[in-house]
This record gives sequence, structure tokens and C-alpha cells, in this order.
Amino acid sequence: MAEKQVSKKTLRKSFNNWFFWNGCSQQAESMLGMAFGQAMAPVIEELYETKEDRAAALQRHITLFNTESQVGSIVNGICIGMEEQLANGTGSAEMISETKVALIGPTSAIGDSLWVATIIPLLLTVCIAIASSLTSAPWVGAVVYMLVYPIGTYFLSWYLFKLGYKAGLEGISRFMASGKLDKLMNTATILGLIVVGGLTASFVTCTLNIDIKAMQQVFNSETGEYVQQLVSVFNLDNLLNSVFPKIVPLGLTLVVYRLYAKKHWSPIAIMGLILVLAAALTAIGYIPNVGAFA
Amino acid sequence: MMVLQAVLVSLFIYLGAIGSIVGNTIGWYCLGRPLIASFVTGLIMGDVTTAMAVGVPLQIAYLANVTPGGAVAWDLSYATYVGTFTAIALKGTVTSTEALIGLAFAGAGIGGVIGGTMWNVHYALDVVLNRWAGKIAQEGDTKKMWMPNVLGGQAIGFLCRFVPALIVLLGINAAGSATGGISIPAWLTTGLTAFGSMMAALGMGIILSFLVKKKVHWAIFMGGFVLATYFGLSAMAIAVVAIIVAAIVYTVMTKKESDGEVA
Repeated sequence: MAEKQVSKKTLRKSFNNWFFWNGCSQQAESMLGMAFGQAMAPVIEELYETKEDRAAALQRHITLFNTESQVGSIVNGICIGMEEQLANGTGSAEMISETKVALIGPTSAIGDSLWVATIIPLLLTVCIAIASSLTSAPWVGAVVYMLVYPIGTYFLSWYLFKLGYKAGLEGISRFMASGKLDKLMNTATILGLIVVGGLTASFVTCTLNIDIKAMQQVFNSETGEYVQQLVSVFNLDNLLNSVFPKIVPLGLTLVVYRLYAKKHWSPIAIMGLILVLAAALTAIGYIPNVGAFA
Repeated sequence: MMVLQAVLVSLFIYLGAIGSIVGNTIGWYCLGRPLIASFVTGLIMGDVTTAMAVGVPLQIAYLANVTPGGAVAWDLSYATYVGTFTAIALKGTVTSTEALIGLAFAGAGIGGVIGGTMWNVHYALDVVLNRWAGKIAQEGDTKKMWMPNVLGGQAIGFLCRFVPALIVLLGINAAGSATGGISIPAWLTTGLTAFGSMMAALGMGIILSFLVKKKVHWAIFMGGFVLATYFGLSAMAIAVVAIIVAAIVYTVMTKKESDGEVA
């Protein structure tokens, strides 16, 4: 009997099923289970002949599964490799299910921290930089992202899928242990920190609006007389900016960081706080003789 | 015309939502990002200039809104399409770009909460599809495996996304025509402006919590900060400096390692 092997066409079909429809029926019971089953369906059809074998294989692939889907395509690849071995008589169905469950944690963690929380914001910051520098055509920044992100991710995801299929679980573990991923991550972090520093200074604005005024004798050079006039004697924002430019926006950003990272506030709660602060600072600005707008 | 535009924007709200028919890479992580959402809304509404003027600040404020793990309390796709739509529809009521940005944030707030709620409804309703999938699997019917996932999931997804979005947009649109010629009072404009420009701190603060892992990272962050304040570099110029620094750091790290192997 000839060795059963998944054809290239089926691999591509399985990958596309996953790549486009992994989130279609997300829910609390099986998370991405139904989508995983759909991705495995063409493979199962090719590897197994009987209705019973197909049913057993489909049933083990619609169970609970979750991952960061773009990086997690590697799990699909590994599972296809294992199903292929099983169809040829090695391995076991339990092993496939166990491997799948075991990979939920690490692939979610890598996908979320490396891809979702680093690469996406990084690419977006570069595109924001493009958009805010090209004042006559800021939409170029959006177009660059629309081209680079989906196409780049498709190829990365397909590469990981094939890597999982060819190298299997052992090959992946070896790659993870090589430290290459850490180095890339560190480099991306440095790039991100510098750009985020620049964006914080350029885009966060926050003024305390305290500008105390007093009646003073002012010499009017046109008429040659002294007149009583309201003059600013103490502007807090100007004072602070001369000590360290944009210190108030920097402080606000650090407060958000602290609330989110250390005090575990939700983004919506922080948004509420910003709304309250904005209202309070605006109100200060309208206090007669004390506020910047009065 | 306005109705058709609202329908189109609602369609994109659905496409940019998590788990739409085009996949999360093209949908949630691309069409659902504020920078792109604003651009698309601008194209549909025929006002790319206003759209991008609010799109960049929205993107900065929601830069860190990437929802790892799929817990969605705040639906970015809903938030930014509705926010940009609000800014364009109510453009006549304010005079400055800063106030427009504030309006966009107000719209985004409403949209985000509705979207988050609808996501939870979608998430709960999808559970019934498991029975359908289980039945197909039991019969070993590989050809039908796509139906519960794509057909079922998207029928529910479309209803949960498109319909509420359209109602919200038509409401904002009606508010836009009702307030035609009326201008928002100065104090409210000032408040909206302050809110809009302070919101950028939300994105920056949260993204820092992803990036900062060691004390020295704060120094690198401050490096980028003073490049803008003391040296007056533009965002693009700082990005170029950052790429150069990252390339050098990567080379040094690699070199250290290979030297270590020799010794």
C-alpha cells in the first residue's frame, strides 16, 4: 500500500479555510473549534476513506481550540502532519488531541505578545508617522498599512503553517529554543519605544489652564500714559514647559501607564478618568482671573 | 445619498469586526484599525481630509487596543467608523479641527460601547452552532463542515453588526441635519478639544505597558521623547532614527553571541 500524503492543493485549501474563517463562529464553548474543524475537513477527506474514520477525525477537531490565529496556523500544520502519520498507521488519535490542547497556551502567548501587541502597533506607528508627515496626502499612511499588513501576514502565516507540517512538534521546539525569537523581539521593542516616545511628545496635549491675572499699571507707548490692565502674572503651563518641555503630557501618559500596568484599570475606566480630567481642567480654565480662557 | 453612505459604512463596520467573513487579518486587524477605518469612511463620505484629520488622533488613542485573547469590551471597528462618521456628519457645528477630533471621540465612545455589547450577543448566540457542527462531524460529512462556521457564524455576525450600526449611523445623521446651522458653544468646544488631545495618552500609556520590560527601556522611551521636544524632529524622522538604532542594536547583539561562541 502506498504511503498516504496530503497534496499541495489540499494543504493550501486547508490553510485558506483557516486564514480567512478562523474567527467566523467564535464562542465560549469550543472557541475556534468549528473553524479548526472546517480547516481540517479537506485534509480528512483526502486521508480517510470510510465514513467512520472521517467522522472520528472530524469529531476530534471540532473540540475546544483557541490560539492567536495568525501565528497559530503552525498548530494546523503540526496537526496535519500528525493526521498524515496516523492515516499511515503511526501515532494515535489521543496524541493529536493532546498536542493540540498543549499548544493553545504557547501559541496564544507568542501570537498575542509578538504579533498582536508588538508588530501591529509598530507598523501602525510607522504609518501614523507617514500620515502626519505627509500633510497634503495623509491617506498614504493608511494605504501603506492596508497593503503591507494583510499581505505580509498572509505569507508569514502560510510559512508557519508549512513549517509546522514539515518540522513537526520537535522541529518547532528546536526553533523556539534557539533564541532567535527573543532577539527579534528585543530589537522590535527598542524600535517601538523610540517611536512611541516621539509620538507621545508630538500628539499628547494636556494643559493645566492656570493663568493668574492681576490688575497692573501698564505703560501704553502709543498714548504715552499708564493704564490699569489685567496682566498675566503666573502661567503654570509656560513655567512647567520652560523647566521641561511637554512635562504635563508626559506625566499624563505615565499616569495612564501606571493605572493600566500596575493598578489593572480597564481602558474604559481610564477613558472615563480622562473625560473627567478634561472637564475639570476646562472648568479651571474658565475661572475668572485664574483660568487661561477667562 | 446619505442613507446609501450609512449603509456602506455599516457594511465596513461588519467587515472590520472581529471574526468577519474576510478574516481577522483583513478585517479586525486592518479594516478595523482607526487609521484605515477613517480612510475608508472618508472615501465613502467624500471627505478624506476631515476623515484623516480625526483618523490619526483616533489611531493614536486606540493604538494599544488590540484585544489579545479575544476579550472585547470595546469594539474598535464600531468605535472608529462611528467616530469618523460623527465628525463628518456634524462638521458644520464646530469651527476647529481640534473640536472635530473631540466630536469624533464622543462618537467613538458611543459606537464602542454598542459594538462591545453586540460582540457579546454574537459570542453567546454562536454557541448553538456547536450542535449543528457536532451532527455534521458525526456523519463524517467533510463537504458540509464549512456550513456552521461560515454560514451560521456569519448570519449571526452580520445581523449583530450591520443592523445596529445602521440604526446608530442614521440617528447621528438625523442629529446632523437637525443641528444644521447651530454651532456648539465655545466652552463645549474647548472641553471636547481637551478631551480629544488628552486621549492620545491612553494609547501611549497602554502601549508602554506592552513594551517596557526593563528599567533601561524608560531611557530609550525618553530618547524618542526629547528627539521631538528638544530637537523638533517630526514623527517620520524619529521613526527613521529608531530603525537605525534598532539595526545597530541587533547587529551588536548578534556579534556578542558569535564572539561568545569563539571564546
